[in-house]
Amino acid sequence: MELELKNISVKLSNKEILKSINLKVNNGEFISLLGASGCGKSTMLKTIAGIIKQNEGSILLGGNLADKIPAHKRKTVIVFQDFRLFPHMTVAENISFPLKMMGTNKTKCREKAIELLEKVQLKGFENRHIDELSGGQMQRVALARALAAEPTVLLLDEPFSSLDINLRKNMRELVLSLQKEYKITTLLVTHDQEEALTMSHRIAFIHNGQIEQYDSPENIFKHPVNTLVADYFAEGVYIDGDIIDNKFISGLFTLDANKDNGKYKCLVRPLAVKVKKAEKGCFKVLDKIFQGDNYLLKLSNIDKKLNLESIISAPVDILEGDLVDVDLDKERLIFIPE
Amino acid sequence: MNKKTPYILIMPIVLLGVLFIYGLVNGIIQSFGYIPALDLGNFTLDYYIEILKDPTFIDSLKVSLKISIISSILAMVLGTILTTALVYTGHTEGKTLQIIKLAILIPHTIVALFSISLLSQNGLIARLFYNLGFISAQGDFPLLLYTENSLGIILGYLWKEVPFVAYFSLALMNSINKTLGEASENLGASRLKSFFYITLPLSMPAISKAFLIILTFSFGAYDLPFLLGATMPKALPVQAHLEYMHPDLRYRPYAMAMNGLILAVSWTMTGIYYLVKKKKGIKGDVHERY
Repeated sequence: MELELKNISVKLSNKEILKSINLKVNNGEFISLLGASGCGKSTMLKTIAGIIKQNEGSILLGGNLADKIPAHKRKTVIVFQDFRLFPHMTVAENISFPLKMMGTNKTKCREKAIELLEKVQLKGFENRHIDELSGGQMQRVALARALAAEPTVLLLDEPFSSLDINLRKNMRELVLSLQKEYKITTLLVTHDQEEALTMSHRIAFIHNGQIEQYDSPENIFKHPVNTLVADYFAEGVYIDGDIIDNKFISGLFTLDANKDNGKYKCLVRPLAVKVKKAEKGCFKVLDKIFQGDNYLLKLSNIDKKLNLESIISAPVDILEGDLVDVDLDKERLIFIPE
Repeated sequence: MNKKTPYILIMPIVLLGVLFIYGLVNGIIQSFGYIPALDLGNFTLDYYIEILKDPTFIDSLKVSLKISIISSILAMVLGTILTTALVYTGHTEGKTLQIIKLAILIPHTIVALFSISLLSQNGLIARLFYNLGFISAQGDFPLLLYTENSLGIILGYLWKEVPFVAYFSLALMNSINKTLGEASENLGASRLKSFFYITLPLSMPAISKAFLIILTFSFGAYDLPFLLGATMPKALPVQAHLEYMHPDLRYRPYAMAMNGLILAVSWTMTGIYYLVKKKKGIKGDVHERY
């Protein structure tokens, strides 16, 4: 179902948490709400679910005003970070809880619970108690329970943050396959940029209660609207300059840049920096950090007081203290207007 | 911190514990008729048998059980209603909590005095009713204290125990409501269903523990039945106290046997509670998780 937030503002304990949020999510779309802790992402989720009432603005579900629909009738179901499974019920009872609330009979509830357990790859777990499950299994049960509620919008509140890395990858794949199968409009709250980039159709980057940018993963990564967004995805070095007649001119270098005239910051991320060992190179390697598949080189040009970082694939014959020449990959440079 | 400090800090409680256990063991030995100082040197069950055959004791036992069961059930129900009201209206801290604490802090003897000044035929309510013309004389006000039905004692206990149940279960119910209650509403349960399916069952460990505490306390407590109870039959602790205060010291084993029986009934109540809890599979760790 299509979801739209119009000028949503939320105050909690006299503090403005969300400031005039506008967001439209198409039917069946997977959206990530990305931002640092405390930026208002979870509040936005709870507001959509009707748990927190907005002070201003409206929420539309399928084009209809949802503001007056109480939380238990909204069908905007949250999978919580701490799972919130009911400890006094078995796995099957947990999953069939929303069905029971809809008035479904016991036999059908159990059948549906077993069917959903198969979907989340937990066949045969129906009679287990919650305290007999691992973190990953609890997450799957929470997901199955949310699906049992027949959500029109599925809201995932940092669901993978408490899982270890391998499990996280499996769960992401499972969530994506179920989302595709059920075609549920889904909002994922996360502070993990990789999660947002790999899972979503679009990402809404939130900072201090406001959406800074709402765009496709590729666009938000390659064309961040400001330094806040840019830094969140991958930090780099900013070089101030001007673009005049499609040329970026700075004290350090001049480059072709197909942009409107004006003041810009050129963001040089480590992947944009190519290095080549050279006896008379103008950069010195200060540090070489092993990162698994690649190395991070910390470079310094003493003359021009410029520090850069470069990521290069292993193996590499450059050592700490070596001199290198630097070449910038123009395709990877990002120009942010000031 | 010095290595000895924890041992020094624990000394007062150890001393109190030793005194308590000494008193308990001494009382139980005396209940079997062994008090050498009074020339009573044989261990016997006679005192227990005699007491159990005595109709006055049976009446006292019935009165005490009635007082503790009725007051505890009512306190549990009313306390749970109060807790629910506080949780659902968001009054879980601050002034409301202070008022509840105040009711718990007031001693039972003061509660008895309040009850007398409020509920007796010379009390404030009787005077108010008389002055408002609801009754033609203060003597027409229904007798609430010193009656065989123990209404005054039960009301006195409710005064103390309803806030106690609320205070004891408030934190748990509030945190369950904020987490699992919220989740259940999000999954389609109305507030009422959410309360009965999730919040209340998961708050039961705290509520039932509070119930057990007030049940055993009101069964063994002396002050309210002494100050607000009927002349006959007396509650068990009052009867035991009377036997204890008997001028003939050779009656002491009767008092101690009564105390022994109070202890036995309290332990039985506790045993039943744990058996029921075990059978139902109530997990105590709900406290820890939420």
